[in-house]
Amino acid sequence: MGNLELIVEKHSERIHHGLEVLPNLRHGLPEGLGNKRWTAELILATYEMALTGDLPKNGLEYKTGNSGGGFDVLGWKNNGSAKVESDKIDLSIELNKRDDGKKITIPLPIYGGGMSFGSISLNFMLARARAAKRLNTFMSTGEGGYPDDIVPYRDHVITQVATGMFGVREETIQYAPIVEFKYAQGAKPGLGGHLLADKVTSEVAKMRESSMFTSLYSPFPFHSVYSVEDHKKHVDWIKTVNPRALVSVKVSTPTDVDMVAIGSYHAGANIIHIDGGYGGTGAAPEIAKKNIAMPVEYAIPKVHDYLMSEGVRDEIVLIASGGIRTADDIAKAIALGADGCVVATAEAIAVGCTHCGNCERGRGCQVGITTTDPELSRFIEPEWGETRIVNLFTAWSKRLRSILAGFGLENVRDLRGRRDLLVRYK
Amino acid sequence: MPSKYERFKIETKPAPHVYQIPNKFDVSARKVRLAAMLVHEAFEYKLNKEVVLSRPCIYGVFGGRFGGFKPLKHKCVGCMRCVQEYPHIMTVKHSDSYKRLGDSFWTPEAVFTILNEASTGKIPVKGMGYKGAFGGEGFDGIWTDMSEIVRPTRDGVYGREYISTSVDVGRKPTSVDFSKIDRASSTIEIPVPIIFDKLSAGNGDVRAAVGMAAEKLGTFYVSRERTPFDFGQESLIPIGNEEGIEDLVERPPAIVEYDAEKSDLFEKLASRLPSSIVIARLPLREDSGMIACKLAHEGVHGLHLYADYHGQDYSKEPQHISASLKEVHQQLVKGGLRDQVTLIASGGITLAEHVPKAIICGADLVGIDTTVLVALQAEFRGETRDRANCQLKPRKIDPEWGAQRLVNLFGVWHDQLIEILSAMGIRDVRRLRGDIGRSMMDAELRELSFKGIAWAT
Repeated sequence: MGNLELIVEKHSERIHHGLEVLPNLRHGLPEGLGNKRWTAELILATYEMALTGDLPKNGLEYKTGNSGGGFDVLGWKNNGSAKVESDKIDLSIELNKRDDGKKITIPLPIYGGGMSFGSISLNFMLARARAAKRLNTFMSTGEGGYPDDIVPYRDHVITQVATGMFGVREETIQYAPIVEFKYAQGAKPGLGGHLLADKVTSEVAKMRESSMFTSLYSPFPFHSVYSVEDHKKHVDWIKTVNPRALVSVKVSTPTDVDMVAIGSYHAGANIIHIDGGYGGTGAAPEIAKKNIAMPVEYAIPKVHDYLMSEGVRDEIVLIASGGIRTADDIAKAIALGADGCVVATAEAIAVGCTHCGNCERGRGCQVGITTTDPELSRFIEPEWGETRIVNLFTAWSKRLRSILAGFGLENVRDLRGRRDLLVRYK
Repeated sequence: MPSKYERFKIETKPAPHVYQIPNKFDVSARKVRLAAMLVHEAFEYKLNKEVVLSRPCIYGVFGGRFGGFKPLKHKCVGCMRCVQEYPHIMTVKHSDSYKRLGDSFWTPEAVFTILNEASTGKIPVKGMGYKGAFGGEGFDGIWTDMSEIVRPTRDGVYGREYISTSVDVGRKPTSVDFSKIDRASSTIEIPVPIIFDKLSAGNGDVRAAVGMAAEKLGTFYVSRERTPFDFGQESLIPIGNEEGIEDLVERPPAIVEYDAEKSDLFEKLASRLPSSIVIARLPLREDSGMIACKLAHEGVHGLHLYADYHGQDYSKEPQHISASLKEVHQQLVKGGLRDQVTLIASGGITLAEHVPKAIICGADLVGIDTTVLVALQAEFRGETRDRANCQLKPRKIDPEWGAQRLVNLFGVWHDQLIEILSAMGIRDVRRLRGDIGRSMMDAELRELSFKGIAWAT
């Protein structure tokens, strides 16, 4: 074994060992770890769940962060002991509520969000795809194209069509059970994707049909869409290329997000996916993350209520993302009116992300998640990553079942819009 | 007017910190354990030096001669990989000197943001999502709107359709008077909606830097005293008083302010300085709306409303400048006066996002104050809130360096203003003024969205 192999092996083992050891708090809570949204405890609790597939038993906070608002000031009504047996609870949701088109059901109200090749490593992408297959759910390609290595998992891969149109080809649309239009992203609403020059390696450039080491800023908006009618043409285009595909429309959360949702419904979308302002990104101007568009906690009830008032709520799936960190966040999002959630950052945390925010840099991520560096990428072995993501979702499903059991609900679909089960904290 | 069309752009260039800034992170190793680990690894990897000494940091923190025994702390970005690999040896935390930066209003993060913007002239772009508090008071409780499918388009930072950040300062007539149509405009156009407000403290070098920067940027700076320098005179907004009128008449400024609370100088200034724009300077209080309407009726060309340096107004029960501004703006609108006068707001406008938010609340443009001193690496010696006793002490600087830092700051804020405007689908910052419908308030949304959810008992 050459030195490079030994070095990668050494650090890989050490990192993996650290992820096992840190949550037991033998060395205390690392002082520099975490922030108000992803607290140190929440990060360590996620490591623990990714390791064991179970909820932390040592008192680590795994339900909420410390941001002082949104999901963090919502809790559950005191509901006493479980009223339904956990194993009888159904967590599955439908992703197509229209009469026509293929029926797709996922066993958990969760699928993986778009993280593009280039913004993340191929190994992490593979780990996500493998986990999606094992869980019988989905992950999204993000806008960076469709690497050949994930084709074997195509039944569980959502092809994203974003404004840069990177890697959007007839076959990648035909592979997809679901095609996702990304109109906007919560972390940088109205601004289009950013992939800074250092991460545009030859492989990334080839996939995106661009020049190496040149920053790639996706346009905003789609230059072919300036109305709901234009949007319908987009939907028709996908359904012509792949009539079996469901269409998801990913939008940000402007003040008229309810109008956007109803427009998407009338254009023929199966899923309206709202991505709140506190979502993740591989790179975004800091000003965009905090200040543009509303958090998803406020957008969900607005959209849900409006779709109800229009009488179409049961014909379209409402998916929420952008700051969904825990099983409790998912359940709260559903109680506020969503059908299910998309998560991405939590998957990254499961494989060792510390939410340090250095993803945009040259070599990118120190633990091989958001990097295109061939050496660093090897820290995430796809099989190892798959296991951790599956474990995390397994632990989350236990928590979801426990919440539902307490309220005597046998089906996660019955939780939708049940704001009466929530309480607010000051 | 330039002879050929040129898109407005502020040219930035690096102006590195002159005074050392604190390391953000403090990384340290338990030395005995580190030594033991090295011995252990030496055995494990059979003295393979390259493998044993390969370090758990891609940023070079342990790249110095003594590796982990003497980490290069300034290189640490807080990625925590060393802690992940060696939790029994390594500690990374925010450094004490970083945590001490600023005061009760200026957070260490805000100070670092301004220092880096002034130094690099580049928009802060980072990976991962937002890390801070959910909403908050004042500007933190406001989100700007965006639009999914509108123009102007954005193809990269500079490849977008043009968005104007120009604003007009001065009184605007309510109707066209054809008898005066050949006269020069009574307003002045500024390419960015930001001026430099009067500084609480400053040495000659700081004043020179501000004057030079204002001149380069085509904006203005407010000062009580005229600078003794050759540059920046055209960009100066003096604060006039009774005794100084004759001096002003000798060299009429384009814009002049006066303390409207202390004196009723408008008539005098307007008659003696007919070519100048006369702005009444007022502290924001509960009655500011009424006073603003009265002054606007009397004919002032503009109002400069200021809060304290933490953005709190001077009411008996202080409220944030965002709330007071809205009240003044709305009273002027109700009185049919808003389009006639210019509103300048200052106090607590310290970060790039505060500019569009203050404009949404009703200002035409803003004045910045403590941010200028922070960009010029002034020293925090206590609270900065009080305008008369602000504990932000300027250091000795090279005026050229200082001017470049301020140009960089404006360049970065201009670019960030454009990011906000483009996300909203607005082509002209003038259209943002008072457009509360294109913003979202935390307090309002919370009540709407969480309606019916019981309070925990």
